[in-house]
Amino acid sequence: MDFLNAFVALSNFVLVPAIAYGSQLALGALGVTLIYGILRFSNFAHGDTMAFGAMIAVLATWWLQSIGVGLGPLPTALLALPIAILGCMLLVLITDRLVYRFYREQKAKPVILVIVSMGVMFITNGLVRFVIGPDDQNFADGERFLISARDFKEMTGLEEGLAIKTTQGITVVVAVIAVALLFWFLNKTRTGKSMRAYSDNEDLALLSGINPERVVMYTWLIVAALATTAGVLYGLDKSFKPFVYFQLLLPIFASAIVGGLGNPLGAIAGGFIIAFSEVTITYAWKKVLTYLAPETLEPSGLVQLLSTDYKFAVSFVILLIVLLFKPTGLFKGKAV
Amino acid sequence: MSDSPYHDDHGNKDATITNKAGMGTMTPAHRKSGKTQYVGGGPFLIGDSMTGGYGKGPDILHDCTIAVDKGEIAVIVGPNGAGKSTAMKAVFGMLDVRSGSVRLDGEDITNLSPQDRVVKGMGFVPQTSNIFTSMTVEENLEMGAFIRTDDFSDTMEQVYDLFPILKEKRNQPAGELSGGQRQQVAVGRALMTKPKVLMLDEPTAGVSPIVMDELFDRIIEVARTGLPILMVEQNARQALAIADKGYVLVQGQNAYTGTGKELLADPEVRKSFLGG
Repeated sequence: MDFLNAFVALSNFVLVPAIAYGSQLALGALGVTLIYGILRFSNFAHGDTMAFGAMIAVLATWWLQSIGVGLGPLPTALLALPIAILGCMLLVLITDRLVYRFYREQKAKPVILVIVSMGVMFITNGLVRFVIGPDDQNFADGERFLISARDFKEMTGLEEGLAIKTTQGITVVVAVIAVALLFWFLNKTRTGKSMRAYSDNEDLALLSGINPERVVMYTWLIVAALATTAGVLYGLDKSFKPFVYFQLLLPIFASAIVGGLGNPLGAIAGGFIIAFSEVTITYAWKKVLTYLAPETLEPSGLVQLLSTDYKFAVSFVILLIVLLFKPTGLFKGKAV
Repeated sequence: MSDSPYHDDHGNKDATITNKAGMGTMTPAHRKSGKTQYVGGGPFLIGDSMTGGYGKGPDILHDCTIAVDKGEIAVIVGPNGAGKSTAMKAVFGMLDVRSGSVRLDGEDITNLSPQDRVVKGMGFVPQTSNIFTSMTVEENLEMGAFIRTDDFSDTMEQVYDLFPILKEKRNQPAGELSGGQRQQVAVGRALMTKPKVLMLDEPTAGVSPIVMDELFDRIIEVARTGLPILMVEQNARQALAIADKGYVLVQGQNAYTGTGKELLADPEVRKSFLGG
């Protein structure tokens, strides 16, 4: 029985990665939930919007590295982030002008916009792969660890090491800042309130003199910023590969729906629920259990419930369970 | 409007991909405002011999005239389906007025979009979905004042003086209030722009008789401040009792017009609409 080592092992392999992954999902789900709440459709192009923003960040990082600009121990990508956000904002505004606005003017039913967003998804996906190629790109630089496993062992004298990657630390800090800014904006500013009003009741918003096109534009801008931030953080933490962002759509939508579509708080909670489920179910518990269980009961197998290859099945099953038993999500969203 | 392929969702009811809550249903006659023209004269707000209907549909209003002058309460009554709300919507620009005109303070505003009519000083309280349910009472009032760039805290105080219960519940989501309180929020929201004329579409629909009396009292109170009020009412007897001007509409046409008292005393009106 060795609780301390068990806890350190658990933190190292489950808690820390899940918190980082959960923050990335939460940021992604916030974008989805904002589009759903205000533009009233599920934006299937969201994953590829993230990929596009992250791609700009990769390119900008390379450029900054080539002219010798960096942040020392922090990844250069943080400097590239604002450039990437601007690039992504440009993309979504152009898409809105060329594609979505037409359907808004026709007052098209939301389900048509869903299909339209799939078209946008394919185009963006192709664009990203055309520009940067389908391969893995590594763009993380600077210090790799906040605490490395070896340092931790030396510091504490424990058998188990706890490693915290710089990117994981940055992910959590940036996510907290982004979420705080978003909530402040939505609840305290006049524009943010007008976005909530438009989401609540379009007709009455119009009668109050709120300009719908303005609201839509601000929504896209915020979504672009959130998507890029999520995409860059994910890319830094793992690596940048266009197709992975497309696959991220499922956990992101699962997060948004589990939390309650249209509810920003729900999106955050959903992100962490999905991340923790995914990591705990695909983690091999042998090590932790060995510390906890008496010697005679030591597990002989890996005690891994599901291979990591099947991690997407976890989001899918959670999604099914929530839709069957609590379709409005945990935080009372709008989906029924 | 259902001919368009964009309006056919093939019966989709999946709320995990589409969000229909609070979706816009208004079909303004003019999305973008056309020209206005000063013609002068006439009552403060008048929908003059309006004929028209929704979109490409048939005419609903036929040569219908409703007007309200400064310091007055004008009430539109009539049987179900008489076009009372439609007449109100026509005045507010949500109906294609094919002939006739709408004039506000002597200015022809027939070609203005509803939003621009709000800017011109028209306050409109729809019959249903007339509050932001997920927002607090105070935020509802703030949204009412969205077009104002000056300090509106004194207007908010006035609204709170008029509806003290709202001040008590200012930080509560408006959707949690009772029916009567919701209507107060709705009227309060419309008052926040400091409108020059207030239009109420069945403000007492679905509230209990006691609350209804209270709402009528408040409406009279608002009118006493000099704000002209044009309203559609189902409770014809009570509404006509407080009306300076009454319009009885039947099938989109003016059937009887007169002061509230005249109409209440008119045996024809009594027999057909007031139940004897």
